[in-house]
Amino acid sequence: MNWEEFERVFNDCILEGNKIIIKSKLHEVIKFVIDNYTYNMLKEITACDIGNGKTELIYHLYSVVDEEDLFISVTVTDEAESIVDIFKSAIADENEIYDMFGIRFAGNEDLKRLYMPEDWKGFPLRKDYVQDDTRLAWNDNNDT
Amino acid sequence: MTITTLKLNLGPQHPSTHGVLRLLLELDGEKILSCEPDVGYLHRGMEKMAEKMSYIQYLPTVDRIDYLAGFFYSELLCRIIENATGIELPDKVRAIRVMLLELNRISSHLLWVGAFLMDLGAVSPFFYAFREREMILRFFEKLTGQRMMYNYFVFGGVRKDIEYLDDVNEIISVLPEKINDYEKIITENPIFLRRTEKKGVLEAGKAINYAITGVNLRASGIDYDYRNQDSLYKGFDFRTIVLEGKDAWARYKVRIMEMRESINIIKQALDYLKKAKPLEQHLIPPVNLKLPEGDYTAQIEAPRGLACCFVRSDGTDKPCRLKWRTGSYYSVNLLRELLVGEYLNDAIAVAGSLDIILPEVDK
Repeated sequence: MNWEEFERVFNDCILEGNKIIIKSKLHEVIKFVIDNYTYNMLKEITACDIGNGKTELIYHLYSVVDEEDLFISVTVTDEAESIVDIFKSAIADENEIYDMFGIRFAGNEDLKRLYMPEDWKGFPLRKDYVQDDTRLAWNDNNDT
Repeated sequence: MTITTLKLNLGPQHPSTHGVLRLLLELDGEKILSCEPDVGYLHRGMEKMAEKMSYIQYLPTVDRIDYLAGFFYSELLCRIIENATGIELPDKVRAIRVMLLELNRISSHLLWVGAFLMDLGAVSPFFYAFREREMILRFFEKLTGQRMMYNYFVFGGVRKDIEYLDDVNEIISVLPEKINDYEKIITENPIFLRRTEKKGVLEAGKAINYAITGVNLRASGIDYDYRNQDSLYKGFDFRTIVLEGKDAWARYKVRIMEMRESINIIKQALDYLKKAKPLEQHLIPPVNLKLPEGDYTAQIEAPRGLACCFVRSDGTDKPCRLKWRTGSYYSVNLLRELLVGEYLNDAIAVAGSLDIILPEVDK
């Protein structure tokens, strides 16, 4: 894989093995990668709460032609760039991340609660999540 | 003239949705204009649960992610731990695992054949398929004590040495004949052909864009099977089944052919295991197991597409973040495009042909 061109265009990224850590311009980077290399499948997007209200998003790309995996990591606060115009599979991933981490994706207006009930408060996989919904059995005050 | 459309809830209690999938369809007559899948009726919080449990406490629960193919998810979690601690599996453990995984794949595909034909209105293949599946489940029960939630793989090996190889021998000697019987009833059946040919056509480009993997991708003509890259399967000789059909019929045919290929793999594993010495394995002590700080990923070719596991460890005995990628979740996402333009009675056939299982979607 020839990364010289990539590093020339996006000069503030760090390359660690098959993982690229970028600071911003996610949509642009992914567009560049799929246009210039053979990566064509987005296997999954993983979100990790890294504290201080920040979340790391790891995009797992795959090239069916070269059988290679590539990870692109970006750190966001509350809002990220949506890539549903590039990969349709991201509809599923972005919705799941919104449901579990509360991250909004600019450009994807179709976000809704997926696994959790529609009126659920809070985002369960965040580290600062407190399980205080009254529908949970241990929060039922009448049961004392 | 105004066109009036009808909103129809397909599911969550419909018997053909294989669990609790709800599809919100917009119909013009019987033609589907749009489809909105709604999931989450089976959400158990597998990922949140992992953050509160040590690895060995979590291991028995992962079989429940896909209760028809539990071995695959146990294997995936074990693989994460083994990669992180740098343990090499002995050849016998590899052979045992490959044999059980492939048997599990066959039992999962058999259930699909039965359920899919039932979706289409043919009831008898369901009983034939379950008759053969029962043989496999009986063997699993003898070996692991459980029919579906096995908890047999442990970090670094298996819980106890393999037994009852004669049962496996019988299964693989009977199965090819039975699969021929299915093919005689189903494959060229004119009613089956009319319900599946050119239905739910999935072009290769679209399949990749929707991150469809596994059988559904291979039936669209893309040669991608993670088993070819998998070190567990090193030394086993098998072919990747790829068909160009792209429709529901091709997905059926790939599954049938894959079962035959799995029997082939089981034969090779069985030949090795018959001659192998008693099992010697060095298990990783699971109590107070701490993974070094860092990110770990593992992948496996599960019956319903590629499954991935991601673990981020902060050096303690519990994962900081654990994520599952399951094939069915992306197949459900695909329905929003694949069903558009089809007729309502084909919606069941098309959705059924993708082999969606809801516990895997909801996690």
